[in-house]
Amino acid sequence: MEESGVTYGWIGKPRGGKEMSSMNLNLGSGKFLAALAALVFVATACGSTGSGTPTASKGTLTVAGFNFPESSILAEIYGQALAHDGYTISYKLLLGTREVVAPALESGQIDLYPGYAATDLEFYNKGAGEANGDPVATTAKLNSHLQPLGLTALTPSSAVDQNAFAVTTATQKKYNLTKLSDLAPIGGQLTLGAGPECPTRPFCQPGLKTTYGINFKAFKPLDTDGPLTRAAFKNGSIDVGLVFSSDGDLNSLGLVVLQDDKHLENADNVVPVMRQAAASAEVTRVLNAIDAKLTTADLVTMNSQVSGEHQDADAVALAWLQQHNYWS
Amino acid sequence: MPAGAFLTYVDPWVNWTWLRGHVPLFIDALQQHITLTAIAVAAGLVLSIPLAIAAHRWRALRNPLLGFFGVVYTIPSLALFALLVPYTGLGVVTAEIGLVGYTLLILMRNLLVGLESVPPDVLDAADGMGYRPLARLLFVELPLALPAMFAGVRIATVTTIGLVTITALIGLGGLGQLINRGLIENFHTPLVVATALSIALALVADLALIGLQRVAIPWSRNTAG
Amino acid sequence: MTVLSNVAKWFADPAHWRGSDGIPQRLVEHVQISAESVAIGALIALPIGIALGHYGRFGNLAINISNVGRALPSFGLLVIAFQVFGLGNLPVLVALVALAIPPMVTNSYVGLREVDPDIKEAARGMGYRELAQLVRVELPLAVPLVMAGIRTSAVQVVATATLAALIAGGGFGRYIIDGFAQQDYTKLVAGAVLVAALAMATELSLSGVERLLVPRGIRLLQARVAQRATTFKTA
Repeated sequence: MEESGVTYGWIGKPRGGKEMSSMNLNLGSGKFLAALAALVFVATACGSTGSGTPTASKGTLTVAGFNFPESSILAEIYGQALAHDGYTISYKLLLGTREVVAPALESGQIDLYPGYAATDLEFYNKGAGEANGDPVATTAKLNSHLQPLGLTALTPSSAVDQNAFAVTTATQKKYNLTKLSDLAPIGGQLTLGAGPECPTRPFCQPGLKTTYGINFKAFKPLDTDGPLTRAAFKNGSIDVGLVFSSDGDLNSLGLVVLQDDKHLENADNVVPVMRQAAASAEVTRVLNAIDAKLTTADLVTMNSQVSGEHQDADAVALAWLQQHNYWS
Repeated sequence: MPAGAFLTYVDPWVNWTWLRGHVPLFIDALQQHITLTAIAVAAGLVLSIPLAIAAHRWRALRNPLLGFFGVVYTIPSLALFALLVPYTGLGVVTAEIGLVGYTLLILMRNLLVGLESVPPDVLDAADGMGYRPLARLLFVELPLALPAMFAGVRIATVTTIGLVTITALIGLGGLGQLINRGLIENFHTPLVVATALSIALALVADLALIGLQRVAIPWSRNTAG
Repeated sequence: MTVLSNVAKWFADPAHWRGSDGIPQRLVEHVQISAESVAIGALIALPIGIALGHYGRFGNLAINISNVGRALPSFGLLVIAFQVFGLGNLPVLVALVALAIPPMVTNSYVGLREVDPDIKEAARGMGYRELAQLVRVELPLAVPLVMAGIRTSAVQVVATATLAALIAGGGFGRYIIDGFAQQDYTKLVAGAVLVAALAMATELSLSGVERLLVPRGIRLLQARVAQRATTFKTA
């Protein structure tokens, strides 16, 4: 059989019978073991790219990002600013949904991720519904849940990116839609598309049901505001889809965001969520300074550059930092 | 513009300019990929050799061992990695536990087949020459099983190189990271180049192992498949 | 262990057996895409492998194509297929067919090569023409290996179809991917159990089919039947 490398005539005996009688096999197997050891050694030596920490480093931090480009951009902005300030930064970008990233933070595998105040609050309080439209109050409530876990959220930015629900212009015209309330009577004819975490997120499917009374015909698990969702709009397999309010490409895709008239979505301001042990005064100062300057318009611009023009998140982040003379 | 056009920027399958400017990205990914593979195959070898010898020596162990690792083998790798995450975190350990679980079956089974296909005449001759059981195992049976073991190492290596890409979904991935990025950002180049590199890496590794086999056990040339 | 008891409860819950995310629906999706991929793969691979084996051409290519098949990263193939074909079953089908072809080519080639030349000569001597010789003499003798190839492909396709959920596909992979995204480990384990069970069922049923197809005379001659064909793992 091909799997063992010896071709057996299946009627008859193994073919290689004749040659298997050499007695000076010790040399052969010894050479083989040595060669194998060398191969493994070389491979692992090549793999250990752990660069020596410069003696002036203030510490090591691991920055993570969620599985959508905006999170990579924010993580890069935070990380590069801290690196410029003397910290050694390693990145775990496109790590996954909050359900994957948050446990990693709690267990200390990562030190920091760029969070969104209201969604993070509703994640850590298990959907208790405490978030409101005030970023400061929301963040304070978030911290009350984070402190017991050894975590902390810093000062929120004015930059906001919250869930938004969009339809194609064709759907909008067909049902004459302007706001989410308009979906309530026709929910049973529509399919919702979003990331697989949507059915368990308060600001997603459950929220649409309780706040707006929308019961969708079906839910299609796709991705978190990514190419799968856009492709599903394009081929008509979903009618309503989750997008982000800071997306830059919605117009060019023929998508219209429905107004959140009952304020399901709340203060999803960008805020660094990190381990208390890593949140030294210095780190806090650096990150708060960034958040003070970050705006929603910046997010929209940077998102188009990465998603639309395929610029690198780290290059876009660097450009933002330099543009804001952050380092002078 | 037709409603639903993706991007105004046309994305070629391979953007060579972008590629030229991002070579370090691919080199880093390759290094991580090679490291993960090497650890998985090496650990698999170290563990499978005693297990195969035990299964060969004590027939009662054979089916339970093959059965257990055979079942592990049917678990989809993504599920196995995801299951380990709450216990071993998002890191190399999780990936390696999963990967080694798979290489173990391949290596153990191949070595076992190799040991079992040593012709009985040779064993008789060895016994007749005065080899004690341990010596017979080390100096007669294992060397004769080497071609089968090499075949197993080849299969395990190529298989692992493919499976490493899936570890991108638990924060690692090697070249899989670039595939993941290509998916999330709807970007062709990293996806296509990383996939091609993964295939190339597997083929190069396979050829290297064939070469290694020819050097280490040249007498197996006529027997290997 | 609580994990196992939770999984048992998950399976016992009737809600998980209904609707578009229920086990029957996902099973149908999974089996459908797997069966289609193996069938189309077989339509392409078997004629090629059999022809190459019969004429004894391009042997090295036929044998090494298996290794190339193992080298294909299924994650990468699926994403490329999505970017080429968009959403739906077509990209999944294309990627899975690509993965299904290599083992079947190699095994059918080897199966045909292994036929004892004396038997072929005897057939010719008896007056069999080429096609008849192929169909009535060589193929029946090669069936065990050909079936082993189909079995290998099928098991591998069933396992790899779980990744289809990464490009919005269905099947049992949905439980694994959704479970991971929602950190619902019960669902995740249930999905893994279902896929493993389906893979084993596929292997067993195809072994059964092989037993039916192999002529009794050949079975008696065989010293050792093809081993469990799970040396392909791409997911």
